[in-house]
Amino acid sequence: MQEFFNNLLPNLMRRLPEFWKAAGDTVLMEAWAGAFVFIIGLILGVILTVTKPGGIMEQKFIYQVLDKIVNLFRSIPFIILLTALMPLSRLIMGTAIYVRGVIVPLVFGATPFFARQVESALAQTDKGLIEAALSMGSSPLEIIFRVYLRESVAPITRATTITIISLLGLTAMAGAVGAGGLGDFAIRYGHDRNMIDITWVTVIVLVAAVSLVQWLGDFIARKNTH
Amino acid sequence: MIELKNITKNFQGDNNSKNEIHAVKNVSLEINDGEIFGIIGFSGAGKSTLVRCINLLERPDAGSVKIDGVEMTELKPRDLYNARKKIGMIFQQFNLMPSRTVLENVAYPLKGMSKAEKIKRVRDLLSLVEISDKENFYPSQLSGGQKQRVAIARALANDPKILLCDEATSALDPQTTGAILQLLKDLNKKLGITIVVITHEMEVVKNICRKAAVMHSGEIIETGDVFTIFSNPKHEVTRNFVRTTSNLSKLEILINEQSPMVELKNGELMARLIYIYADISEPLISFASREFDVELNIILADVEIVAGVMVGGTVVIFRGQRENIQAALNYFASKNVNVEVIKDAGVF
Repeated sequence: MQEFFNNLLPNLMRRLPEFWKAAGDTVLMEAWAGAFVFIIGLILGVILTVTKPGGIMEQKFIYQVLDKIVNLFRSIPFIILLTALMPLSRLIMGTAIYVRGVIVPLVFGATPFFARQVESALAQTDKGLIEAALSMGSSPLEIIFRVYLRESVAPITRATTITIISLLGLTAMAGAVGAGGLGDFAIRYGHDRNMIDITWVTVIVLVAAVSLVQWLGDFIARKNTH
Repeated sequence: MIELKNITKNFQGDNNSKNEIHAVKNVSLEINDGEIFGIIGFSGAGKSTLVRCINLLERPDAGSVKIDGVEMTELKPRDLYNARKKIGMIFQQFNLMPSRTVLENVAYPLKGMSKAEKIKRVRDLLSLVEISDKENFYPSQLSGGQKQRVAIARALANDPKILLCDEATSALDPQTTGAILQLLKDLNKKLGITIVVITHEMEVVKNICRKAAVMHSGEIIETGDVFTIFSNPKHEVTRNFVRTTSNLSKLEILINEQSPMVELKNGELMARLIYIYADISEPLISFASREFDVELNIILADVEIVAGVMVGGTVVIFRGQRENIQAALNYFASKNVNVEVIKDAGVF
């Protein structure tokens, strides 16, 4: 067996520990950045929803400012964001390289995207439900948690799935500027040194990861659709 | 007691255009405790906006909303939320939460209870609206009528004193509408709850309301007990509503189609006889026929029970000597029958 893999994937098998470390780094980036993106994006998405004109806590100024900021960060190419946020990253995380150094740009890159996804997920909530909840004496805060979020589990799960997957793409890009991870591993060996087996294995692992996330997301969304 | 005084509500037109929409114009209304009060109007008349001013889902631009003497527009948010718990509301589209079961939907407004208490309360409510067997169903598995029953149970969860019904039967078929209206009537009797019914269907008002207001382009054009409005409509819009429910409206169709049924021969006269306040236990038609020697041919008839009183009318073709016909018409008029000559073929 060992022999078989050694012959089939000679370059990879020689760098197996490095490969596992790279995979671990990718998981680490994904998990940390993903957690921040989920929490901050969810909060921003909710604020955008309730403060927009006609929302349950209409606040024109807050909405306009937030709306513009989200647009701004969505339009900056991620590779520029990576270098532009280096000083901020050093300030917050103490470094601008390796996994720690790339969390900040990843969060800035993916959060506005996720916030918009949440906003459009919440926008699907039937206005009648909001009205019914108001008529039953629910406060705006209660409506956020007991109607908007509770009734949007399925669409928010779908939004989360899409964001996790696109975040995976961003981590690969971050790898190119010193963050490590699978993307970096594939570029350094598979691409730069033309080690085809490494490129293939990395791609297969990423496809498997994407499929798993997508399957899990669909499963949860389906469980929550009645 | 609900007291609305000089309620005005305007909406901004689309895209910040200058033309405001005057949804409700200076409306005053009083609804007594325990009443079933109807607000009828065609769509766009402002009735939905007006009813939302009662629980302040819409905040009126001007005017006062008093419920049991408490001025609703001056309440702090927290007090307003508590006040709303005592005003149930049901909707045309039911507005049940799709991700919650029937039991969870009805439990939504319940607070400050243990789980067991909540379940007991929900089961009591579900049996009150006769849908106990569906507690673990999701709304998508229910029919329209069942959904509305669940919505009613949910609206009643906090023992409200008032129930607002916004076109609650408009999405239902006639049979289900009848059943839901009967349920509302029973609840009114059993719980003494005040019910405000918004509808564009005269049938609904006739069926369950004692008192009603007719709304047209933001104003209340007629108000009073349903029997008076129905039997003696003063405003053109009201008359249109009354006509929509009456069989006698078919006459216009027959005349338009030039049906042989309404073709008059020489000497004949066609009239609409509307009984108002009348004691129709008297056999007016056969009496008139014998007494004045005229033949009476009934083309259409429509008699109904409105608010416990008989109301109705017939379309009749008179045949006979002209002075006899005249005498018969006078006789009807003297018996408080509203006589309207529709067509007269003249004397021989």
